[in-house]
Amino acid sequence: MSDTVTIKVNGREVEADPTKPLIAACHDSGEEVPHYCYHPGLSPVGSCRICQVSVKVGEMPARVVVACRTPITPGMEVDTEAPKAHDARKECLEFLLKNHPLDCPICDKAGECTLQDYSFDEGQGEGRSVEPRRKLDKRKDLGDVIVLDQERCILCSRCVRFMEEVPGTPQLCVSQRGSHSVIETWQDRPLAGNYQGNLADVCPVGALTLKEFRFQARVWNLHKVASTCPGCSRGCSTTVEVLRKGEVKRVRPRENAAVNGWWMCDEGRFGFDAVNREGRLAGALLRSTSRGWDAVDTADALETARDMLAVHGEVLLVGSPFLTVEEGKVLVGLGKTLGTRPVFVSPEPNEWADDLLHTGDPSPNRKGLEDLGFDALPAEEILARISEGSEAVVLVGERIADSLGRDAVAGLGEHLRVILMDTHPVDSRAIDVAIGVPNYVERAGTWVNIDGHAGRIAPARQAPAGTWNLERSLDHLHTLLHTEPEGATP
Amino acid sequence: MVIVQRKSLSLAERLYLPEVLRGLSITFKKIFQPAITRQYPEEPLPTTEVTRGQPRLVVKDDGNIACVSCGLCEAACPAYAITIDGQETDRFIEREPERFDIDMLRCILCGFCEEACPKDAIFMSNELELADYSRSGLVYDMEKLKRPASALKGRMDYIKRINDRWQTSSST
Repeated sequence: MSDTVTIKVNGREVEADPTKPLIAACHDSGEEVPHYCYHPGLSPVGSCRICQVSVKVGEMPARVVVACRTPITPGMEVDTEAPKAHDARKECLEFLLKNHPLDCPICDKAGECTLQDYSFDEGQGEGRSVEPRRKLDKRKDLGDVIVLDQERCILCSRCVRFMEEVPGTPQLCVSQRGSHSVIETWQDRPLAGNYQGNLADVCPVGALTLKEFRFQARVWNLHKVASTCPGCSRGCSTTVEVLRKGEVKRVRPRENAAVNGWWMCDEGRFGFDAVNREGRLAGALLRSTSRGWDAVDTADALETARDMLAVHGEVLLVGSPFLTVEEGKVLVGLGKTLGTRPVFVSPEPNEWADDLLHTGDPSPNRKGLEDLGFDALPAEEILARISEGSEAVVLVGERIADSLGRDAVAGLGEHLRVILMDTHPVDSRAIDVAIGVPNYVERAGTWVNIDGHAGRIAPARQAPAGTWNLERSLDHLHTLLHTEPEGATP
Repeated sequence: MVIVQRKSLSLAERLYLPEVLRGLSITFKKIFQPAITRQYPEEPLPTTEVTRGQPRLVVKDDGNIACVSCGLCEAACPAYAITIDGQETDRFIEREPERFDIDMLRCILCGFCEEACPKDAIFMSNELELADYSRSGLVYDMEKLKRPASALKGRMDYIKRINDRWQTSSST
């Protein structure tokens, strides 16, 4: 935005970036201009013709142009609501709907479909065409992630451009010509790559849909909360979508120019199985000598934990990679009281690293925790340190047992006092106290990504009844250690 | 302040007995007239296609449920009585309900679901009776709601007639 030019949009003077198309200036100034093929993250092609607006330059009479392919020139006067522009858009919609099957009741896109929205706003109620609609493949399998419904496609070619421009792996094309045009992969090969899920997001209609989300929920029933992806240290901004305040049904990228643009990878998008897993640890459990576990209040469990920590000298605090900055801070304070420096499990880099978004480091708050004074150690090293000389160990945070390895946690020595604060219990005699914690769709906090950008997570649903927030649990434990000085370690 | 003037009684009323006899004469007259009381459970209420009873799901003649679980009735329901989960099916219509619950205790029989349905899959039947021993028993699932199209035919034809009439009168 170095050199801006002044143009008039609907009578108001606005500053516009001349490197962007006219539609971007209209959107930036708050005017609604319909668009299908235009996407701010992709090159404009002007294939759908729905973004027609009336433009007047100098002494020339106003004319209707497509806003996504019109460069900005100084002194332009744009009228998005001109009757001629409305007429042009209406006619354009009629053509787009000519072959559209109107199966909105079945279509997963219904409710967030711009074709629906603009038809409602500008379209005419009835079609005039007497020709039969095109009959095409309604269930074309495009690999593991995407199903294509060719009848619903309006050939905006966003998906083709996305594959070419964003991950740089062109795999889709518009084949055939004229009214026979369809979206296809080369020789019907399945799509590959880690960014296929974005195709369902860029598709303005219900042509490309996610297999995972297919018929799972109606979008207006989803409770949408702005969050951050826990998949890697990139920390893409996401929207977590929860059905009836229960199950997470879908995760979608949220626009954030500083971190992820408009996209996210499939690893992050579909990596929410753990938050929907059954068998949550609600409240707290104490190991009883006679019959396995006793369910107790979190406060009681924390008192037992305090007693264990107070009599054992060598305590190790192990944080999960999913700890937020806020939780980390409380844990560091607890460590100071106990005379130990907390560590967090630093998972092995995985094979998904690429030069677009995925960093390959599955620890969303590495920078935040390291800045707080945590030591990042791989799981084996932490387990070695536990077995070397610790008398008590506190395993803290969402999926800490998964991060260390559930078998390894279950196999910790019986002489060792183990306090587990996790979302799911580990059924082993090694665990003395298990305290439930909320996962990342149930709590608020901050993760700091690899570049130092803060990503907020926010609760989209409630944690199981009786579960305390982790900060509260740790704070309570800290207070307990202080309030009875005879029990507190130096 | 309103002063209410009490009606002064006539001689016959003050004598008491003539009025009692007048009342009894009505009683005895009614004994010989036909009864208008309905013996309800044995003798059910008459219903027509206009009766807006409990909503029911249409099972088409081929044995498949007409519902595609689009969720519009769920969205239209002002009492939040309807809960639907969809699933994929191999039929031409790709989507069908996996779960379709109507909480009959919440249902206010308004008929919005019938009006919202784009697939003619839910209709207000002529079934009016609703009793059970538990609240959970009154949350009707899909099996309890399914009715063959023939059982709902009168209502379906009526709704079609009404819609056609609106279509012709409102389209300008």
